[in-house]
This record gives sequence, C-alpha cells and structure tokens, in this order.
Amino acid sequence: MTDAGEQARRLFEDMLEHGETVRAIQAARRLVTEAPGLRQWTFIRRAVERVSAERLGLRKIRVALLSSFSIEFIHDALIAQGFLNELEVEIYQAGFGQFRQEILDPASGLYASKPQVVVLALDGPRLFPFAYAGYLQHLSGGFDQLLEGAEREIEAWLGGFRTQSDATVLIHNFAPSPWRPWGVLDDRVGLGQGHLVASLNERLDRLSRAQRGVYVVDYAGLVSRVGSERWHDDRMDHYAQAPIAQSALPILACEYMKYLRALTGKTRKCVVLDLDNTLWGGVVGEVGAMGIELGPQYPGSAFMAFQRAVLDLSRRGILLALASKNNEGDVREAFARNPHMLLKPEHFAHMEIHWGPKSKSLEAIARKLNIGLEHMVFADDSPIECEQVRSACPVVTVIQLPKQPEQYVRALLEEGLFDGLEHSEEDGKRAELYQQRAQAEAMMAESGSLDEFLRNLETEVALVPVDGTSLARVAQLTQKTNQFTTTTRRYTEADVSRYASDPVWSTTAIRVLDRFGDNGIVGVMLARQDGAVLDVDSFLLSCRVIGRKVETVMLAHLCDQAKARAARRLRGRIIPTKKNEPVRDLYARHGFQRVTVDETSGEVWELDLEQQRVEYPQWLAVVTPTDGRKA
Amino acid sequence: MEEQVKRIMADVLDLDDGAIDENTGRDNVDAWDSMKHITLCLALEEEFKVSFEVQEIETITTYADVLDVLRQKL
Repeated sequence: MTDAGEQARRLFEDMLEHGETVRAIQAARRLVTEAPGLRQWTFIRRAVERVSAERLGLRKIRVALLSSFSIEFIHDALIAQGFLNELEVEIYQAGFGQFRQEILDPASGLYASKPQVVVLALDGPRLFPFAYAGYLQHLSGGFDQLLEGAEREIEAWLGGFRTQSDATVLIHNFAPSPWRPWGVLDDRVGLGQGHLVASLNERLDRLSRAQRGVYVVDYAGLVSRVGSERWHDDRMDHYAQAPIAQSALPILACEYMKYLRALTGKTRKCVVLDLDNTLWGGVVGEVGAMGIELGPQYPGSAFMAFQRAVLDLSRRGILLALASKNNEGDVREAFARNPHMLLKPEHFAHMEIHWGPKSKSLEAIARKLNIGLEHMVFADDSPIECEQVRSACPVVTVIQLPKQPEQYVRALLEEGLFDGLEHSEEDGKRAELYQQRAQAEAMMAESGSLDEFLRNLETEVALVPVDGTSLARVAQLTQKTNQFTTTTRRYTEADVSRYASDPVWSTTAIRVLDRFGDNGIVGVMLARQDGAVLDVDSFLLSCRVIGRKVETVMLAHLCDQAKARAARRLRGRIIPTKKNEPVRDLYARHGFQRVTVDETSGEVWELDLEQQRVEYPQWLAVVTPTDGRKA
Repeated sequence: MEEQVKRIMADVLDLDDGAIDENTGRDNVDAWDSMKHITLCLALEEEFKVSFEVQEIETITTYADVLDVLRQKL
C-alpha cells in the first residue's frame, strides 16, 4: 500500500475511535481512492463494526439479499460503502438459490428479518436457461411461450412478496450472453439471442412499472459499462457459483447504494461548481472571455461535454451554484460573450464570485438556498480548494476533478449522488422556483411589515387529498424534507399509496401559488384517525415557503378535517432532530397543549377542538376540494 | 513479499499480522472458512497482479502454501 494509503488508514482508525464519524468517512474515502482494493472494504467494514453504530450516529437500514448465485462476497463492500453514507447496513443473506422458498413462505427468515430493502439478484443463465445455454435447443419452437412463462414467474414472485412485505424491491435485469451460438448470424436465424434477453428485460421493466416500490437495477447496463470480460470471473462462476469478479462487486454495491441513499433522504440537492479549469479550460481573468478553452476542439469539447452533463442535472431538478475566485466582470463577460457556453447565468440558483475562501461561499449558498451542507456536492479541479472545503465543511461531498477534463463527466456522475427514486413536475423547474423565491425575498425586504408582505405576495394555498398525480411528489417530500418536518418520517410511494386509500388516514398535499408563479406541491399532511383523536403522523413543508403562514392554513384545515370526522381532539408530535429546529414551536404557537414528553417518541401536543380551533390567517386565499371555492 | 502477504491475511482473516507464521492455516484459524479462502486468494491475486488456477486455490491451506504458490508465479 502507498504511504498515503497507510496514512489514510491510520487517520480513519483514529477518527473512528474518537467517534468522529464525518472525519472517519473522509479518511475512508481517501483510503479507497489512494489504495483501491478488495481488502480495504474488508478493513473498513471490520473497523466500523468494532465501534457501536449508535456512537457513530449511523442510521440503520435492513437489506435482504436474495440471489440465484453466490452474492455473499459483496457484503464487505456493501457494509463499508454504507458507512461512507452514514448508514449501518444490516444484511439478511438468504441461502444460495433459496430465493423462491424465502419469498413464498410467509414464515421464512426473509420476512422475519423485516427488511426495508430487498435485492433480487437474479442471473439469467441460472434462472432462464432457455435464453442462454438452452437457446439453440429452443430456437425452432419459438420463444413466445417461454418469455410469457418467465414473465408470469417473476410476476408471481413480486406479487407473493408484496402480500408479506412493503419493502422496496430492487430486481436485477439480465445481461446478454457474451457468446452467441450463431455468432455473427445472431438475429438472422429466428429471434437472436441478444434480442431475446432484451425482450425478457422489457417484460421485467413493464412488470416493475406496474408495481409500487419495485425498481429494476440495470445490471445489463452495468455489465456493458464495465465490460462483460472485466465484470465476470468465469473461473469463480464454475468453482464457487460466483460469476461476478471481485473487482466488480464494489461497483455493484455502489449501484445499490444509489437506492439506499435515495430511500434515506441522502440524495444530494445541489452541485456547487468552480469555473476556471472546471466549466472551461484556462483562467478567464488571464485569457479573457474568448480565450478560454470551450468549443468543438479538444480540450474545449471535453469542457462542453461537462457543461452538458451539469445542464442535464439542472433539468433533473438539481440546483446549480457557483463558487469561483474571479472578478465578477470577467465571469459575466464569459457567460455573455462566449458562444460555446451551454450554461447560462439563469441556470444557477446562486453565484458566489469573489476572492474569499470557498468554504465561506458554500456556507453562503447553503443559507441562501436554505439547504443543508450535507446535501451539497462541491466540484473543483484544484486539490487545494478541495482540501480547504473538506477541512472547513466536512459534511459537503467533495469531488476533486481528475487531471483530464474528458474524465469530468464520469467523476460527477459515477457515484449517483444525485439519483432519486421519484421524479415530479416540480423537479424540472426547480431553478425557476428558486428565482421566484429570490424575487419574493426582495419584495419582503421592501415591505414594511409581514402582513404587508403577505398581502403583496397574493399567496394562494390549495389543499387536496393525495392521489395518483401527487403520490410521487408527496413521497419525495417525506424523503427530502429535513427542516420543517415534525416527525421526519420517510415514506415510499407504496406507503403513501396505502395511506391514501385507507379511510382511517387523511392525506393532504399542499400546493402554493403566489404572484411570482406556481410553487407546486410544497407541503404534506398525513393524519390518522384514532377514535376521537385525529393524530398527525407527518406534517411538513418545503423550506421555500416557510414564514408565510402556510403552516397555519394547514393546521386550520386539519381542524376542519377533524370536525368532519367527528374527532374531538387534534394530536401532533414533535420528534426533535438536528435539522428540524424551525418546526419545533409549530404546535406551541398555535395553541396546542403539551401532553407528554418522551425521549424516544418526542413531545406530544394536543388541541381540544371542543374549546378551540386554529383559524385561517388573513391575506391567504385557501382552496379546498370540498368547497371548490376560494375562501 | 512475506510482509505484504501477512498484511493481506491479517485484513481478510482478521488476524494480528505479528501472529502469522508458517503454521497459520485453515486448521487453526476459525475465520478461514471456504468463503474467506476465496476472498483471500482473490485479494492476493489483486495485490500481486497474478492469477491462480483453481487447482492452486485448492492447494493453499497455510501461510507457507501461499508463499510457495506465489514464489512460483513471481
């Protein structure tokens, strides 16, 4: 191992020992970069397991691995990578090839382990030999029936599983065989083998889309990205039923981690970029707007490709921001004059262009956009700037861009830090929404009082029951909201869907419009009736609309709902977290009485509806489906 | 090479590298089960940039065997 590797190891162990989780994660990341290798994952896993997960503040997530081959070899990488994401991954490993029995038997160890995520790592050659070793034998008879049979079989597994568990299912699709019996004539003699596997995958995609909480892991795509020959170890396939090469296992674990991050609210929301030698080549202050490397010729073409990838992130709903040491005039000129600039000033939610330290810029951006530093990614080519940010803002994920600009796109996307499991209409116009918010803030600064501000804002709040159209966004909000959330309970689409169709539950999505535009769905209330009590399970609001009395409207609406259900009391709970300071006084300032305080379940607050209610505030128009009119 | 092998064995089998000697083997290390054995062989392959045949993997039962097999390769 290199000296840097040894050094990272020692630092990692030292930080672990002191319970400095974030610093230990930094050191572990450095270790796997400086001295990559199988044994590092084993080493990290073991070191982490020696310290209690509680002391490290890791969040536990139970993952069941079911497979048609030996997948046990992935455990070290999966647990170690979990640690890099502040997760304690607890694995239930089903016996090799036992996945059918485990799924079909309600008393199996699988269900006893109460998994939150189940990985169905199925491999084509073992499961559906007709598309692999048995291909030629079946060719003359056609594949329609076999494909249909395969689809029904998978459907039965998924369906059987769903009757027992609400866990999120990650199911592998199938990689095509690297060797075709017909060689170059594949697809000319009946249905080609390549096509056959593709049809199997299409059917799998269709099945997964039809079921909530089932996601296809694009295993075929991974194998093709890495290369079938590098991905597979034929020797171990035959000898130990372990077809995946050891060097490929961390890549597969990294793929699973994308889902685990999304399910635990760790999807990054914002990327903060440097400019010189990051978004373009050269230093604009020295070579000028037209002298920077950006355009159809190398290396300009590589920087353009990187800008395109960043722009795509913005289209997905990831916020972009700049942290650059430059003169603002030079930067403005580059954006205005260079014809190859794909990114425009309007794509950035905020810019920090000055000579101060980048950590200060990141903090300013976090404040301005009202998101946590832990949801930010910083990308810069300079090792010095990266180190400064790592040291001053350790929770920020730092991507130190490689030497060659053609490798930037990979560096940005490889870990899937921005990958979420839900996409909503709101995502596509996020940058625009933040600009509206900036305008609203400017107006607030000019307004004399809060009332005047609210009046000028012309806010309209629509409260509608959660339905198919809002499901994805509602689940996404429960997963992403950290500040104005009373209980920080995370729900999947499957969970929300269940509550929405259960009459005991009242589920409401809150949409906010104002004179600057439609903010989309920004709030959620999930409440459950328990006899005479309407119990608020979740109450959350996006930080974009905090401070505008929307929460008062929401509580007033809950009072109406409780009345309609003949409930006599409204009950709410505050479970304190590091992040939810802004919501702590929600119930207190709306006249609720504190009933109990408990260390694990938090504070319980109640409002006696026979004596009191929460009134709708002035200056906000309220729309509900029951009256269909504006109040 | 000896030191490097010991370190890898220590990592994979959760041993103290100072405690590894010629006799350290599958018979006297509990953690050295068939799965760990494969993990160990693959880690050695990676570290020394060699490739073992299945027969060689099966030959290895002690630290001394590891050195023998590696010396033939390097």
